[in-house]
Amino acid sequence: MKGRRIEARPGQVVDRAEPLSFQFDGRSYTGYAGDTIASALTAAGVGILSRSFKYHRPRGLLCGAGHCPNCLVQIGDEPSVRSCTRPLEQGMDIRSQNAWPSLDNDLMQLTESVSRFLPVGFYYKIFHRPRFLWPAFEHLLRNAAGLGVIDPQTPEGSYDKQYLHADVVVVGGGPAGLSAAVAAADHGSRVLLIDENADVGGHLRFDRPDETVTERIAQCRKALDQAGATILTRTSVVGWYQDHWLSAVRGNRLYKIRAGAVVVASGAFEAPPIFAGNDRPGVLLASAAQRLLHLHGVIPGQRGVIVTASDAGWAVAVDLIEAGVDIVAIADERPEPGPPEQHETLTTAGVVIHQGYTISAARGARGVDEVDLVPVDGTAAKQTIRCDFVALSTSWIPSAELATMAGARSHYDETLAEMTLEDLPEGIFLAGRVAGPCTAEQEWIQGSAAGTAAAAGGPSHDSTTGTTPIPRSSQIVVSPGSAGDKRFVCFCEDVTDTDIETAVAEGYDRIELLKRYSTVGMGPCQGRMCGLNSIRLCAQNTGQSVQETGRTTGRPPVTPVSLGALAGQKMEPVQLSAIHDWHVGHEARLMVAGPWMRPEHYGTPEDEVRAVREAAGLIDVSPLGKLKLTGPGVATLLERLYVNPWKDLRRGRVRYGIMCNDEGIILDDGVCARISDHEWYVSTTSTGASGAVEWMEWWRQSGWGDGVHITDMTETHAAFNLAGPLSRQILQPLTSRDLSHGKFPYMRARRAKVAGVPCLLLRIGFTGELGYEIHCPAGYARYLWETLIEAGIPHGLLPFGVEAQRVLRLEKGHFIVGQDTDALTDPLAADAPWAVRLDKDEDFLGRRALTRISEEGPRQRLVGFRTRRRADALVEGLQVVRPADRGAPEIIGWISSCRYSPTLQETIGLCWLPTELAEQQDTPFHIHVEGQLELAHVHHGPFYDPQGERLRS
Amino acid sequence: MLRLECPSCGPRNAAEFRYGGEYNPRPAPSSSATDNEWTRYLYLRQNSMGVQTEWWYHRSGCGMWFLVERDRRTNQVTRSWQWTVDMDDDARQETT
Repeated sequence: MKGRRIEARPGQVVDRAEPLSFQFDGRSYTGYAGDTIASALTAAGVGILSRSFKYHRPRGLLCGAGHCPNCLVQIGDEPSVRSCTRPLEQGMDIRSQNAWPSLDNDLMQLTESVSRFLPVGFYYKIFHRPRFLWPAFEHLLRNAAGLGVIDPQTPEGSYDKQYLHADVVVVGGGPAGLSAAVAAADHGSRVLLIDENADVGGHLRFDRPDETVTERIAQCRKALDQAGATILTRTSVVGWYQDHWLSAVRGNRLYKIRAGAVVVASGAFEAPPIFAGNDRPGVLLASAAQRLLHLHGVIPGQRGVIVTASDAGWAVAVDLIEAGVDIVAIADERPEPGPPEQHETLTTAGVVIHQGYTISAARGARGVDEVDLVPVDGTAAKQTIRCDFVALSTSWIPSAELATMAGARSHYDETLAEMTLEDLPEGIFLAGRVAGPCTAEQEWIQGSAAGTAAAAGGPSHDSTTGTTPIPRSSQIVVSPGSAGDKRFVCFCEDVTDTDIETAVAEGYDRIELLKRYSTVGMGPCQGRMCGLNSIRLCAQNTGQSVQETGRTTGRPPVTPVSLGALAGQKMEPVQLSAIHDWHVGHEARLMVAGPWMRPEHYGTPEDEVRAVREAAGLIDVSPLGKLKLTGPGVATLLERLYVNPWKDLRRGRVRYGIMCNDEGIILDDGVCARISDHEWYVSTTSTGASGAVEWMEWWRQSGWGDGVHITDMTETHAAFNLAGPLSRQILQPLTSRDLSHGKFPYMRARRAKVAGVPCLLLRIGFTGELGYEIHCPAGYARYLWETLIEAGIPHGLLPFGVEAQRVLRLEKGHFIVGQDTDALTDPLAADAPWAVRLDKDEDFLGRRALTRISEEGPRQRLVGFRTRRRADALVEGLQVVRPADRGAPEIIGWISSCRYSPTLQETIGLCWLPTELAEQQDTPFHIHVEGQLELAHVHHGPFYDPQGERLRS
Repeated sequence: MLRLECPSCGPRNAAEFRYGGEYNPRPAPSSSATDNEWTRYLYLRQNSMGVQTEWWYHRSGCGMWFLVERDRRTNQVTRSWQWTVDMDDDARQETT
């Protein structure tokens, strides 16, 4: 094969005024703007583009349409680029893949000489024994496997996603797609037309140039433009999902498209026949030759042979002859004469015409030097013909992937020798070559019918009515008398017809099993080239019909998608408090807490703990769930949702509540304040806020919500906890509200203006000190926070973070839902039986389970412990064990929280113990720490200020 | 992606919603249920191969909990509506 560039002609997309230089395996070449990499290389006479996966056979341009693996190259750090569709760019550094030391002399081609030791499914059969050699084998195999090279140092690319909506999405911009889009737009539909090529037109772009056709395409484009339709080119639709949700990729962008209806006008593509040496560089599909010729002005060689099963090959032959190629022979497997007009042209040009013939072998040193043509019926001897390329037009495969994903069934039409589609699901319409063989004029007509039907929103209909299909595909599975070289079915994985035969003989006689065992169809082309051939071979070897054999399930993506496109932008959304910037500006170490980003500490957590115990501290607790419940039914609803009683809570009072499900498991906790008779303020855990709201809403909206309205103020309001013995002194000058213990005692709620900001103050004490939780609208948060800090500094106030709060609450023995409790924890076991009021009037969530647990008694209990062991060695989650005389100790519990308490100057924690161990104060038990047993002692109640005097001061 | 019809917002992508499981009304009051009824409510689900009535929550929308009738074989949604009290009454009558 010695390709070259011919003179410029209408229809070509290359711009000869703009030459582009590039490198391929270190050598410099020149192409033109509008070239693909492969067209530029073919024009430069380069025939070998890659080496095959298993046998490292030389491969050249085959499909020219972005399907097959033959032209995969590496560009910089991007592996496996389809060079037949990737546009050429100035200065591209292109390298071949899977070849060493060079593409022309690949040492790994020796694999083929030992190929009889590498049978189909060899990875199940050999290299497994002796076992000790496996690491060596693995090293060898891993080096041999794969195609391109991934560079771990590759800088991150930029990827994004876009959502699109359309009444009618038309997939494919050929004649059928264009007319479907125009028809749908005429009917007032919002139309989105998607085509994977550089421009619309489909096969018309690379068919014989025709001015009237060009004009027709231009008119469609104009009509679509006027109707406001969107056309996306270079875009591949890669998946169909429920309710016509399509994914499509264009470069680094992933589109998610919701369509009202989808017109699949994705056309059909050619696939190669099976004969000896059918993978030699120089053997290419006729449509690839047409693309080269009409789009890029490139001919694939000087002396060509055409092999066909329909009129399509004759048309290509005429085009190539007119371009100056010496077509020496045409083999048409049909016995009857070819189309008269082309027949005459070919005869005049001296082409030897073989009717009833097909190809049985291609041979050559580097590419193709000669081919064997054989009579289909075996009645005559083969003809050997010298040539430097073969163009094949024997088999068409409808691009049916999207339709089958949507639920259409495949049916094998014996007469057409093609898969056709049946039982189209609602909203899926077919038009053009994907629906079966038809002429270009019929494609226009079908498209228009499909577009009209899709716009009308009616049920699916058969747009091919009135079309009499003319067979275009070959009935031959493997060419008769084909010998002397391997016959490839799957070019991606180097699977031959003999491999399929062997696999079926070994029992892999179902198409899905055959695929997995032989790997046929599992390579980069995903069965595009081999799909039908492998089914027909399987049928031939099992004696079943093609229809009975069925086909493998097609799944997204239709074409390869980069992981970057699927991932999209690198985004980790977090919720930020209204005063996040202040934290960042004050050296806060940030941590992720549920959906929130929170300060863990501002330097030294121990100092923060000490400040709260001795003076005062201020923590941003804005992530707390903050709900306003209003209406006469609130108390009743709360009684049903929480295990606590609420009806008796008087105005201005606050109570701690636990929310359970009907299994008695703790879902959430928090404090609820009764602001007025019918207005309540409820707080939830920080990380569980949205779940708690959804849970409460569920019950409110399904029968328990009479007279209740829930307003989620989590994000509209900020909250701080001012805690410490000096907190009253700090806060009092900022408000006219009397904060004295007598006027504002413990567990009370008061509205107040603090520094002029309308606030709700809750006198509660998670930290165990006198403290005020200050809730205010988020817009005032920064101002109020800074005012409080400023007012507190003279008193020794420090801002404190989540870490200090964890220590402070642990010193008080408070559990944290989700940290100390899990999906099996009930409030009785969690040492909070005082919260549960089983004899409430209202039936409440968890009552039945908790009644039973209270009768039987919890099996495990959450209790405090102290130990001499340093806290940093005691990771939360460590097991509590019972030492055994012999063997491993028995696991009887676990540690859920553990910290060094700077206040008590010892290690304290919370753990789960069997009830009998937990009951007695100071009971010793053992924690299993890296093989050692550490002694700890049970502690009941708060470690710090057990009487809670400081809270009430 | 599945599309659901929120009774107040109209058709939206399923990603806007949270699935709430089979519709399965709570015996009221809980103390009136036999152990069998309670077990059925708490732990047993139909898991039917066919049409199921199920809860959905419009999390990224209006915040409505509503019911959807969906065929679990085809993902075909036939109906969506807001809860009414007589639904629970009917369902309890069916199971007793």
